[in-house]
Amino acid sequence: MIDHYDWAGGREAMLRFGPATGPVVVAALPLFEEANRTRAFVVTILRLLAARGIAGALPDLPGQGESLMPTHKTSILKMQDAFGFACDKFDREGRNCYAIGLRSGALLDALALAAGRWHLAPQDGPQLFRELTRIKQVELGGRPLGDSWYFDNTLPEEAGDPPVEIAGTPISTDLLTDLQVKTPFDEPGIPRRVVRLDTDPNPADRKVDAAPLWRRAEPGNDPALAALLADDIATWIRTCES
Amino acid sequence: MQPDGSLQVEDTVRGVLRDVLGLSAERVADFRADTPLFGALPELDSLAVAGVLTELEDRLGILIEDDEVDGEMLESFGALTRFAAAKALR
Repeated sequence: MIDHYDWAGGREAMLRFGPATGPVVVAALPLFEEANRTRAFVVTILRLLAARGIAGALPDLPGQGESLMPTHKTSILKMQDAFGFACDKFDREGRNCYAIGLRSGALLDALALAAGRWHLAPQDGPQLFRELTRIKQVELGGRPLGDSWYFDNTLPEEAGDPPVEIAGTPISTDLLTDLQVKTPFDEPGIPRRVVRLDTDPNPADRKVDAAPLWRRAEPGNDPALAALLADDIATWIRTCES
Repeated sequence: MQPDGSLQVEDTVRGVLRDVLGLSAERVADFRADTPLFGALPELDSLAVAGVLTELEDRLGILIEDDEVDGEMLESFGALTRFAAAKALR
C-alpha cells in the first residue's frame, strides 16, 4: 500500500508491505541513477519478506522517486534526516526497525533508530564521488577535471555555486563536497551485516554469485537473487530479535 | 605465449562488459582483440564507460588515473584488455 511519512522538510510517499505488527525493514535505495536501476529489485525483496511474515517499507527520500523536492535541492543530511523520520513512524508503534541499504543507500541510515543495518554491496561516499567525477570527465570529452571541478570559479563568491549536471541529474555542490567524507554507519555493538557480490573483493559477511544490476542502463530485476537475499535478511532479523 | 594471468584479466574484462552493458554471454564470448567498443557499441555511453572502468578497478584491484582515461584504451576489446592487463599484472 502507498502510505506517507512526515519529516522536518515536508511529506513524502512510502510504499509499505507485509504485516502491521512486528519488526519492519526500511529500505534505502542508492543515490542518483542507481536508484532507478534497483527500485523494482528492492520492491521484490520487500514483497518476498512480506511473504515471509516480515513487514517492509520503501520511503521516497527528498529528491528521490516521487518526491517534490528537486534533485539539486536535496542533501545527504536531508535524506538521512527523512529516513530517520520514516523509521520513527514505526518506532512510535513500538516496532523494531531494520535498515537495509543498497550501494550508496548505505550512507543514508546514519540518523535512524535502527536495531540493525543490512547493506548490499555498500559504496562509500568517496567511491561514489570518484565515479561521478569520471562520468563528468567522459561527458566533457575525457580531459582530467581536478579535485574542485564542480565549483564555478567564474562567479562572484556571493552568487553561490550553481548545481552541476551529471548524467542528466542536477546535483548541488554541497552534496558533492559532503559525499567525500561520508561512509556507511558502522558502530560497535550495533548489528550490521554486509553482503557483496562474488566479483567484489572487499570483505563481507556473505558473498553471493550474481551480476550487479545497479550497473545496467535498463532497469532490471533478478528474482532469484531477491529470494536469496530475502531469506538472508529474514534469518538475520530472526537472529537479531532472539 | 601469454603471461600468467592474462587470460584471467581477459575473462574479467568480458565479465565487466557483459554485466555493465547488459550484453549476452554469447555476444561477449565472440569479442576479438579488434572488436571495436567506444563509438561502436550504443550501450557504451558516458555512464557505462564510468561503470566499466570502476568495475574493472574493483574486480582487478587496480587504480585507473583520470589522465589514463582516453578514447584509445576503449577503442577495441584488445586495447581495453591490454590496458587492464598492464595494470593488473605488473
